[in-house]
Amino acid sequence: MKPITVLIVVIISTLAIVCISPYLGLQSGSAEIQHHILTQLRIPRILFTFLAGSGLALCGMVFQAMFHNPLATPFTLGVASGASLGAAIYVYLGFSFSLFGLDGGTFAAFTGALLAISFVYAVSRYQNGFSPETLLLTGVAISFFFSSLILFTQYLSNLNDSFEIMRWLMGSLTTVGYHDVLQLLPFVTICTAVILWLSRELNLLMAGDDIAISRGMPVHTIRYLLFFVTSLCVGAIVALCGPIGFVGMMVPHICRLLVGGNHRWLIPTTLLFGGSFLIICDTIARLIIAPAEIPVGVITTLLGGPFFLWLLIKSKTRLS
Amino acid sequence: MTSFLDVNNVSLTIDNKALLSDISFQMQSGDYLCILGPNGAGKSSLLKILMGIIPASSGTIHLQESNVLDLSQKQRAQQLSYVPQSHKGLLHFSVEEFIKMARYAYHSALSDWHGQDKQAMERAVEITHTEAFLQRQMNTLSGGEAQRVMIAAALCQQTPLLLLDEPTSFLDPRHQVEVHQLIRELNQQHNISIIEVSHDFNHAAQHSQHILAFKNGKTQWYGVSKDLLQAAHLQALYDQDFVFTTHPQTGATIALANELS
Repeated sequence: MKPITVLIVVIISTLAIVCISPYLGLQSGSAEIQHHILTQLRIPRILFTFLAGSGLALCGMVFQAMFHNPLATPFTLGVASGASLGAAIYVYLGFSFSLFGLDGGTFAAFTGALLAISFVYAVSRYQNGFSPETLLLTGVAISFFFSSLILFTQYLSNLNDSFEIMRWLMGSLTTVGYHDVLQLLPFVTICTAVILWLSRELNLLMAGDDIAISRGMPVHTIRYLLFFVTSLCVGAIVALCGPIGFVGMMVPHICRLLVGGNHRWLIPTTLLFGGSFLIICDTIARLIIAPAEIPVGVITTLLGGPFFLWLLIKSKTRLS
Repeated sequence: MTSFLDVNNVSLTIDNKALLSDISFQMQSGDYLCILGPNGAGKSSLLKILMGIIPASSGTIHLQESNVLDLSQKQRAQQLSYVPQSHKGLLHFSVEEFIKMARYAYHSALSDWHGQDKQAMERAVEITHTEAFLQRQMNTLSGGEAQRVMIAAALCQQTPLLLLDEPTSFLDPRHQVEVHQLIRELNQQHNISIIEVSHDFNHAAQHSQHILAFKNGKTQWYGVSKDLLQAAHLQALYDQDFVFTTHPQTGATIALANELS
């Protein structure tokens, strides 16, 4: 299939998913209640989920291109745990401030994300190049380190704060309103715009730094810019709905299998696929033990764990 | 008369270790220069410095009278192109997409692919005989095919100077000959100046015009290629005895590492 055909199919499926999913599990109650649930809960939730899924998938795609590594994502590289730590510390310290209408938690998570990625980047630079093993191990190490700091923060917190942090870590889209949609929108939009603008650079990054530089690309500047916008985006998403795992790894891979590696097609496909994928996961999370809900992070991780292993085995056999 | 390429006192020091010290040489337009030397002599580092992949610690580089170190990376990529020693398989790109990417330096984010790009690409593909696998995926190419695609992409950049890092090291004899013929054709028929890092001193002595030989990051020998094949020069360069014979057909001198010594 040609990329354009795949993209059209993905556009149509996305529209269908966005339109159908709010109505699923909406049988009980009077028409008035149903209307209220639909407009006040479901629609903002679908919009938010779409933004979060798109953002995570796009950031994963960028990481995989930047590090030339199929396993690199905001999660495997510790960015999400950095963001979580930032958010947890914010809750623990009990600060409450907002800047430009944005919650302080978003800034805290963003700072954590940027810190984590700078650390991973510095280590891999020090090692003189991006060896995939070093990179993943650094990411895993920093994830563990931050996770224990989160536990420590949680231990120090009172019961309320501790529960709030706990809820974050599970990754949930339950208590989302229009306010959250508006908070997330600028981050995902800016990130998407920059990524779209840099689609040729992303193609070159896939070819490796030496080739990218010899073609005339200022690799380090571009990489810093991409680090910055992806940290911004992941930081915002994690602050608002917790670290929802594996979307950023699975979706870009599936899309690459569908449309190939050219970012001209890969970016729009990943954007739409990521959004609809998370909506599907969230709908499952909502319906599977209805009226109760499972955190969506549980669903994505249940799907993502086996996928990660499959990818690991597959890339191992290809290397040998 | 000013030179086409003028490299002056270029040094590279990493972690207090001098990888290149005071390398100077000139090159005329249309020249074919081979860089020889033992492993770790700094040959590849020099190419990377010229291309801007790693910064030189000191020294100046002038190309067609402009200071290369002052150019933006895009401007530099319009003057120099580079074929790296090894390259990862670009799993999800077709050959055509990969070659097209080489026109990066001539575009901004919004400019369209235009007639000049198409021409450059068609020409590069024609010269390298890569028409047949334009639609194939990069990871399905054999070593010889991949090397021709890499050269096609570098040609697509339309630069007066082409840098090649051991372009034949991983190829079988047939593909070595094929790639070397292609390089000579680029140099002689298309007037592209070439700097090639190589271990094949016999080929370099016969077909290149000048040889620059490094040892431990310093210039060991620099001169007209055919003068290199002498026992003293080669022995000093590689710390190895050589014996000499002549090619039965061309009569050219051939050096062989003497395993009996």
